[in-house]
Order: sequence, then C-alpha cells, then structure tokens
Amino acid sequence: MAVKLGQPKEVVGQNVLKLDGLPLATGQPKFTMDMDLPGALIGKLLYSPHAHAEIVSIDTSEAERVPGVVCILHHGNVPRIPYTTAGQGWPEPSPYDTVLFDKKVRYVGDRVAAVAAETEEAALEALRKIKVEYKVLPAVFTIDEALAPGAPVIHDEPDAQGIYDPQRNIAAAVDVPVGDLARGFAESEVIVETTCEVPYVQHAALEPHCVAVYFDEDGRLVIRTSTQVPFHVRRIVSRVLGIPLQRIRVVKPRIGGGFGSKQEVILEPIAAALALRTGRPVVMNLTREEVFVSTRTRHPYRVRVKLGAKKDGTLHAVEMEALASAGAYGPHSGTVLYNVGSKALPLYNKARHLRFHGKAVYTNLPVAGAYRGYGATQGFFALEVAMDELAQKLGLDPVELRLRNHIREGETSPIFEKLGEGREGRPQIVRSCKLSECLRIGAERIGWYEKRKSPRREGSWVYGVGMACAMQGSGITGIDMAAATIIMNEDGSFRLLVGATDLGTGSDTVLAQIAAEALKVPVEKITVYSSDTDFTPFDKGAYASSTTYVSGNAVLRAAEKVREQILAVAAELLEEPLEELELRGEKVVSLRTGREVPYWEIGHRALYVTNQQHIMASASFACPESPPPFAAFFCEVGVDTETGVVKVERFVAVADCGQPIHPKLAEGQLEGAVVQGIGHALYEEMLFSERGSCVNRNFFDYRVPTSLDVPEIEAILVPSEEPTGPFGAKSIAEIGINGPLPAISNAIYHAIGVRLTRAPFTPERVLAALRAKRG
Amino acid sequence: MKIYFELNGKPQYVEVEPGESLLSLLRRLGMKSVKEGCGTGECGACTVLIEGKPVRSCITFAPKVQGKRVTTLEGLGTLDDPHPLQKAFVEAGAVQCGFCTPGMILTAYALLEQNPDPTPYEVREQLVGNLCRCTGYRKIVDAVLLAAEWKKEGKWR
Amino acid sequence: MRAGAPRSSCLTGWPRGILGKKGGTVRLRGVRRYHWARDVDEALSLLSAYQGKGALLAGGVDLARSPRTDIEGLIDINGLGLSYIRSENGGLRVGATTILAEILGHPVAFEYAGGVLGETLRQVAYPAIRNMATLGGAVVSAHPWADIPTLLVALGASVRWQGEKEKEERAELVDLYAGEFRKIFRKAVLLEVVLPPCDGAFAFEKIGRNAWDIALLNVCAGLGLREGRISWARVAVGARPARGERLLWLEEALIGERLEEALWRKVEEEVKARIEVEDDRRASGEWRRQVAGVLVRRALTRAAGKAGA
Repeated sequence: MAVKLGQPKEVVGQNVLKLDGLPLATGQPKFTMDMDLPGALIGKLLYSPHAHAEIVSIDTSEAERVPGVVCILHHGNVPRIPYTTAGQGWPEPSPYDTVLFDKKVRYVGDRVAAVAAETEEAALEALRKIKVEYKVLPAVFTIDEALAPGAPVIHDEPDAQGIYDPQRNIAAAVDVPVGDLARGFAESEVIVETTCEVPYVQHAALEPHCVAVYFDEDGRLVIRTSTQVPFHVRRIVSRVLGIPLQRIRVVKPRIGGGFGSKQEVILEPIAAALALRTGRPVVMNLTREEVFVSTRTRHPYRVRVKLGAKKDGTLHAVEMEALASAGAYGPHSGTVLYNVGSKALPLYNKARHLRFHGKAVYTNLPVAGAYRGYGATQGFFALEVAMDELAQKLGLDPVELRLRNHIREGETSPIFEKLGEGREGRPQIVRSCKLSECLRIGAERIGWYEKRKSPRREGSWVYGVGMACAMQGSGITGIDMAAATIIMNEDGSFRLLVGATDLGTGSDTVLAQIAAEALKVPVEKITVYSSDTDFTPFDKGAYASSTTYVSGNAVLRAAEKVREQILAVAAELLEEPLEELELRGEKVVSLRTGREVPYWEIGHRALYVTNQQHIMASASFACPESPPPFAAFFCEVGVDTETGVVKVERFVAVADCGQPIHPKLAEGQLEGAVVQGIGHALYEEMLFSERGSCVNRNFFDYRVPTSLDVPEIEAILVPSEEPTGPFGAKSIAEIGINGPLPAISNAIYHAIGVRLTRAPFTPERVLAALRAKRG
Repeated sequence: MKIYFELNGKPQYVEVEPGESLLSLLRRLGMKSVKEGCGTGECGACTVLIEGKPVRSCITFAPKVQGKRVTTLEGLGTLDDPHPLQKAFVEAGAVQCGFCTPGMILTAYALLEQNPDPTPYEVREQLVGNLCRCTGYRKIVDAVLLAAEWKKEGKWR
Repeated sequence: MRAGAPRSSCLTGWPRGILGKKGGTVRLRGVRRYHWARDVDEALSLLSAYQGKGALLAGGVDLARSPRTDIEGLIDINGLGLSYIRSENGGLRVGATTILAEILGHPVAFEYAGGVLGETLRQVAYPAIRNMATLGGAVVSAHPWADIPTLLVALGASVRWQGEKEKEERAELVDLYAGEFRKIFRKAVLLEVVLPPCDGAFAFEKIGRNAWDIALLNVCAGLGLREGRISWARVAVGARPARGERLLWLEEALIGERLEEALWRKVEEEVKARIEVEDDRRASGEWRRQVAGVLVRRALTRAAGKAGA
C-alpha cells in the first residue's frame, strides 16, 4: 500500500467545512422521514406483554375490519426463515435465532404482529383489536437464573442455527488460554481481583429507527432506511423474504445517529413484507418507547479480572472472565464477547500467561446488540479498575504502572492471534503507538501529580482524580472490505462513490478529503455520493471503527488508479514522458519543462476529443490488519459526601488515532464518546419490573447527559504515522467511550476511598458505599 | 377546524385536527427541520419558536398558535443565504448527525436575542433541555459563543 | 442479569400512561373540538357540557402527555386575563395561566422571600418547558415529584378558584392538597395563586439524577428572625416520593432557637429520624432519609443567611 508518509498535506489534516454541515444547519429535508411518500401505508407493530410465552392463537378478524386496515402479518402468514438481525458480513457470526414473526415471544416488547393501514389511527385501532391468546411460560431475567439447571429453554426451536448451547441458554461462549495461568499466578508476587458490572444501557440516538419502502417505476423494491449497514440490509431482506437481491435497492439518507443500534436489520424486512403483500409503499417510524425496548441495547456484562504481577508492576498473569446477558436473541452476542478480551487484553502485552473466557447467555429481556465500544467498554472498565487496584497495592503511581506495561510500536500480543471476531484472529504487530505520550500529556493537562497527593476538600465535597487507558481497532481483520469509485467530470471535478455509511460522523467529508489530497484538488472539487446499493460500490458499513481506515484505503487506491489515467492522458497531450509529470494544484505539471495542463482540459479531452475514455476507477480494500488507536483518559470528579452526588469537573481525553484526517471531526468523536461514557458511569440504566418490563423507557426516567452535566472536556489528538493507514490514519469513532467508566470509578476511589464497580455510580450507590466504609 | 397563524413570516390559513400536535402540523406544511425524537417533550429535537420563545412543538396543540408568529429553522436562513448563527454551527464543528441541530440553533437564537453576551455556563443552562448524543455539547457551546462574537461585531441579522 | 433492583410501587401507574401512547406525534386521540373561552363563565359551562370529557388547557404540557383517551373537548383558557404578576402589600398575586418563564423573568422572582421563586423555577424543567407550563397547571397537576407544590406549600400560598357560576372560592393550598383537590379542579377554573408577605427568607434545595431533572427529593425552607432568634419557620419536603408537606413538628421546635452550627446538625439528625419516606423506582427510602436531613439543613442555613443573620 503506497501510503505517502511525511509529505506536506494540503487537505488531509485540515478542518474543512463538513460537506453536509450547512444543509443540516439550514434544515434541509435529508432524513428518512423527510421524504413524503404519497399513498404510503403506515406500518405499526404489536408487541408481547409477556416475557416468555407461546402464542396459542392469533385472531385478526376484528382488526381486519377496521376501516383503513390493509394488511396484517403474523407467524401464520409469513415465511419462516431463521436469520440474525445483526448487520454483519456473510456468514454472520451471530446465531440465526430470529424469524419475522414467531409462535413464541421471548421478552416484553418482542414482536407479535404487524399492521399496515391508511392512517396511524386505523393502525393503532387494529393493534388494539388483534386478539392474542398466550400460554405464559416461566421466564428468567438474570445470567444465573438462565444458567441454572432446569431453567426454561428460551430458544427451543429446532431450526435455529449457530447457538452455542441452546439447552443451557448459552448463545455464545469462549475459552482461550495462553501459557499456563495457574503457574503464572503462582509466580506472581502480587495479585488483585475485581469484578465490574455494566447494566442495560441505551444508545439513545436522537432519531428513532424508521424506514420507508416503495416500488420504483420498474417494480423494484426501494428501501430508504436509517441504517448503518445498507448492503447487509439488502442481503438479509433478500434472504428472509425470498426476493432476488437484484430486485432490491437500499438507500441510506442522512441519519440521526446510530452508535451501533442501527447496525441491525430490524424494521426493513417487516416493512418490505408489508409492501410486497399490499403492493403499496409502507412507512414505519418507531416511537421512543419502542426504540428503548424493541430495538437494541448494550450487552450488560459482569467482567472479572484477576491480575498477577511482579513487584515492579510488570504483569505476569491475566485472567478475564466475561458474562453477558444477551437478551432474548443473540445478534452480536458472540462477537461482542470475543471483543471484550480481544480489545482489552492486548493493551498490556507483558503477561505471558493469560486466560480469556466467558459466555453470553439468553435471558427474557430486551435484545442486546452492537454499541460503540462493542465489548471493549465493558472489558476496559474491569481491566482498568483492576490496574488501579494493582497500582494502589504496589504503591505505584497508576500512570507509571501503565507506562511499565503497555504495548509499544513493533510489539505484538498473543491475543491478536487467538481472539478475532467471534473466532480466531490473526497475528498483528502494532506499527504506530503514541500511548506513552498520550499519558504524559493527559497527566500534565489535568494536573495529575499535584492533585494525586491529596484529594481537595470544599465543604462536604471531596475532589479526586483518576485515569484509564484504552485501545480499540480499525476495522475487522480479514473480514471487512470496502470499495470506492472515482469518476472524473469534464470540468476537472470528481465524483466519489462510496458505500461507506455516514451516520453524522462526517465520513463523507473525511473520504472526500482523502480523495482530494491524493488527486491534489481542493475538497470542494469532490462530490460525494454514498450508501446507495444501486450506485455505490460495496462497503461493509459503519461499524468497528472502519470507515476512515478501510473505506479510506479503498478511496486512496481508487485515487491512485485515477491518477495514473490522468497522467497518461497528460503525457499524450504534453508529449512528455510519464516519469516527468506530477499532479499539483488541479493541474498536471512537467518537472522537466514546467509546462502545465489543467484537469479540466484533461477531462474534457478524454471525454470528447481524442483517444476517448472516461477517466475513472474503482478499487477495493480488504482489511489485512486492524491498527489500534490508543487513548489515555484523565478526569477530576467531585463527590458530595453527604448525598453521594458525583460531578465530573474536568475530563481530558488524549488519543492517538494516527493522522487525523479532519481534526475537528476527530475531536467531536472523542468528545461525544466521552460524554456517552459519562452517561454510562453516572446516570444511565434501564430498569425492569419483576415481570421483565422496562419501566423507564423514555427520557424522563432514563437520564441522558445534558449540556450542564459535562462542564470541561478536553480532547487532544496526538498524531502518529500508521504506515498502513490512508495518509497515516487509523480510527477514532469508538475508543472514547472506553475511558469514563474506569477513569471515573478510579477518581471516586481517590476522592473517598471506595471502589465502585457497579455502574452507574448513582448518588444512592455512592452514599451507601461511603456509609458502609464508615461502618 | 381552521386556524390562522404566521409561519416564518408568511401567513398560513390551514385545516388542523383539534388534538393535533404543532409538530405534526409543521411537518405537514413542509417544515421538515422540525424533528420528532421522543414525542414527549423531553429531547428538544422538536423545538420551534412561538413569538420568539422556544417551545416543544410535539406537546403543543396546533390550535394554540392561532394568531401567533411561529419560526422554524427554515425561517432563520437558507442554504443559499444562511444566518450567521447557522454558519457558526458549521464552522465550530457543532453539526454531526444534525438531528438535534434545528432545535439547538433555534434555542441558541432565542438566547442570543435575549442575552447577547452569555457566559459558557449561561449557554449550557439555556441548552440544557436540548439533548445531543453525538457531540458531547462542547462544540455546540463553542458555536454559540462564536456567534455571540459575530453578533457583537455587527455580523448579524 | 437484572438491571437494577425491582422497584415496588408506582409500576402500574405512571409508566402505563406513556406506554399507552403508541402514536408518533403526541395527539390526544378522540379530541373533537377546541374552544377559546372568553371568560371564566364560558369556560365553566363548556366544562360542564362535556360532562367529564372536557379539559381545561393552559400550558398543555401535562395534558399533552396525559394518558387519557376520553377527552373530547379542549378549552383554552389563556384568553381569560389570568396571566399577571402583581405585588400587593408585600405579597404577590400570580394569575393561574402565567407561564413559569414570565415569573422567572420578573424582578420579584429574585426579591420576594429571599429570591426563592427564581431559585426554584430555574431548576424546574428547562427553558422551553418553562415557556409553556403555567403556575396554575403545576398547582393543579401537583405531581408528587414536582418542585412547585413543595415551594408553594412552604410559602403558605393560597389559591382562588371559581367552581360554580358567580361563586369564587379561596383556600390555603396546604389544606387543598390534604383534601380532594383533584375532584374540585375537574370542574373549576383556578384563577390565582396568592403568596403572603414574607419578613424573612426562603431557600430551595433539590437533588435529581442529573442536571435539571425532576427531584428525587426537594426541600423548601424559610425562616424569619427577631433579635437573633428564629421567630417563625417553615419547612416543606417533597418528592419523598410523596408530594411536598410541611414538617410542622420541626417548624414548632425551631421557634425561639438561636442560630448556631449545633442547631443545624440537630435539625439534620431529627429530620433523618422522623421524616416519612418510601422507596419508588427512582430512589430508595433509605437514601431519601439521609438526603432529607442534609437538604433541610442546607436550606435552613441558606435561608438564615438570606434573612440577614
């Protein structure tokens, strides 16, 4: 991969105006629900009120008589094809344990039927009139209940595939040893052990899941949807409904956030089925309550970490056990499980003896799926709290402990090879890592050494500082692939077609910058069109922090090919040898004679004048390795010792994402992820009744951080040159969310001497821990 | 029933359901910038201005705007002629997915009309009811402060 | 793994209301007509004509989020001339349809009773909601977690309303809340909230789950001083989860006491021992007990400071 390192960059590394910034800031109608579809039917879903039940009968006769109701679907009148809703590449490494509508419901909020009607009122009235007879079954709500002998089997259907052990409710399991763990602990001079828990949390993307399905003039099915994975949507809808893939077009317009909740194929098959059955366009738009319960959540995890180290702090043995509740179905259950270990453990590669093991267990609760961090968040919570304990036990400064243990450039970890995406991975060497510098800078910015000496007191408030490190990945090794097409217009501008999915992250802009840099034009000369399965080449979608690295490399390769074609035409025009020519400032320049020819002349000539061809090229990039970004997090928190209220006073996040293509966008990712992490740490938790019903399925009772909850966040980028990345770039999208949980827990420990390992650290938990400590 | 009101400076005489939300009415009238994020007035994505004051259109009954001035983001500026506040949001990097943006900008606009020189805390206090999940608010606050600078320099309207 | 201990009460009440709303945009389904009442009599006769299926609409915040599906008529009362703030003999008269933002923006918000109106309303909901919600609406819906009932009960507010034609009634809010006020206001128009003159100062404290949340516990406390001793005291604690009520035993005990650190510590301990609190899904009674003591102490300390100690 001919990455140009070290050359001066004109577009990459600049804060160009985000391509969709002004359209969004002026309210252009660019979202899924902003397109009026005349004649569209409204689709609504009927959900289960029971956590676990068999559907004995469904009577839709009265509902069908409601004026305006056109179609009702349920298990009795749709094909039964097991699939996974997980938006992953084929073959999806998640159990095929879902069907469109089943004869059984497995959680409160599971779907039972779908109605398409002329108006919303008619659809809702029909939902009320559908008569369902249930045979209620015993339900399980905790990992321990689900694993207990004699527990009800949640997935007892004969046609499910890929479940690790359905009889024991185990969706996925892993057990990967390295070396000899027992010996490792025996040889260690100091041992610490901690268990950390992350509950059910929500992505809370501002735009609820929605989809609009219609038929174009040729009768092909067009799915306009709020998704992170347009190509997976196409493939899965084709399979589940039995329609040729060629007859389906998926378009992703602007979407209002995803964070992993839209790395799923939830609504599209249903809306498509309703459209096919009725021959009419169908629109489905979930309410916020439905999004809370019937889309996806993060995997709640209980992670136990045991560290064995030498007296100087060097890790010698590490055990990580991860137990998850997958919820009622298993999309992403195995891959998130593997990622808990595969992302967290390589960070400290000194330990010779390791064991990563765990399970993802079915429970009769909402379905967990992909969520920013994807297991790394849960893993780093436990790992970084354990490291803090280790530092404390050894009398070492926590930053020093990290410096003695973290992976360096040129090094590897046995974990890379042993743990991949739900299966074995591939060996990898870290080629760029500025974590030491991130640690140094972060410590300085927060005033670490001064503040660590003793926690500051002000009335009933005590202030402490804590830190944590993390890494992530950039794409999925050996699995991810993206492609790009660059087409030259006759005026010297270019069209960039990418399957890559911009969730608001700014990937359209970043990819345009990469193309512009390679082609030596200002970014305004690149028109980006993305995420349309008819017109843009394949891209696996926006997940695993892959877009800049994987899609960016594809763009770079395509640009290389276009560059060759431009030079060839210029060589002919100028009658000069190719080797003497170079691209510079929208022109081709001869290094020998100084003669120039502008792009527009080349494009024009190639299209119309002589030796006609259209200058354009496509290229693909499959991800041979996944260079990790690294980050160090430092925070200062205040704890009100009288009430248990915790306030984050300052948060510093320092990240090495390689070469930031667009620094402001990269900072924005870091800042946003940190705030989401603060929400995880302090306020966010889905609560359930004894019957398994979510009782806080709205923003009134599920508290998302507001502008007043997050005073000072400093996001600092420390560039490194990743030789395999486009212009040295890696990724930044997820890593930020891995810091707050452990950093805040560690800061609270510094302030008040209690270690909080169960998130969120609500005033109640903090006060209870304080009072327990006081005895 | 029919109601009369002024939308972005233009008179509207429209048919509405008595129990209809203002959000529904405005989107019907083509104002797609008004977003539904939660339907219960909690997230702020549906914020519009009535007589220059931010309100939640999803829990406002449409007939309530009878005889009043309503402003949506479309009324502040257009793609060809954006308002300085809109430009400030783009320049500061405050727009990621853009779903919270219309509500944020209108709330910020009302703030700057009332308090042209806010402190960062005051900006955060006014925006507290507008949720953003993408940006972490830092660059949104930067954008509003940048716009306040421009307003002081006379680059406003 | 069950996320969070199951919370006992309130599970079938409030959440079902929101769950019942499966629609996209919030509409009260079944509403057939919208009226703009020109005076109180018209509002009352419309209400009566709807026979329980009509609803008065001021700000509409609670109404729009209401789970009720039987409402057929909305009666807009914003044109009744009930939006005003008037000072009178050191006290205040606030019209029922005055929006919270207007009160917050009025100089009296930071003058009356030590500025407690401003201090409280700043923390109620957020700006856009304060531009819609009315004081009367808050009084009538009287959510147990709400801040305004605690505030008004502590201040000794009374309200005026009109139930039947030509007959105005008045009562202390604390007495109304102890009785069947919801029944009254189903057939009445709240006219005005009257705040008595105050020769001391009040302070308001609350803790939510995050910034500008509803209260997990709130306290409004005030006192007056004469010659360095407390001449009167009022302490109301709300969101317990029950609605704000005065701690009469504490108010009595404080009369005649000198202001000193030891007093406040004792108050904190007594409140912790005697306050009536319960669990709900948002917080446990045990935590509320601890926090009630702390917040009462803090509110009284600040009130004392404002009262000129």
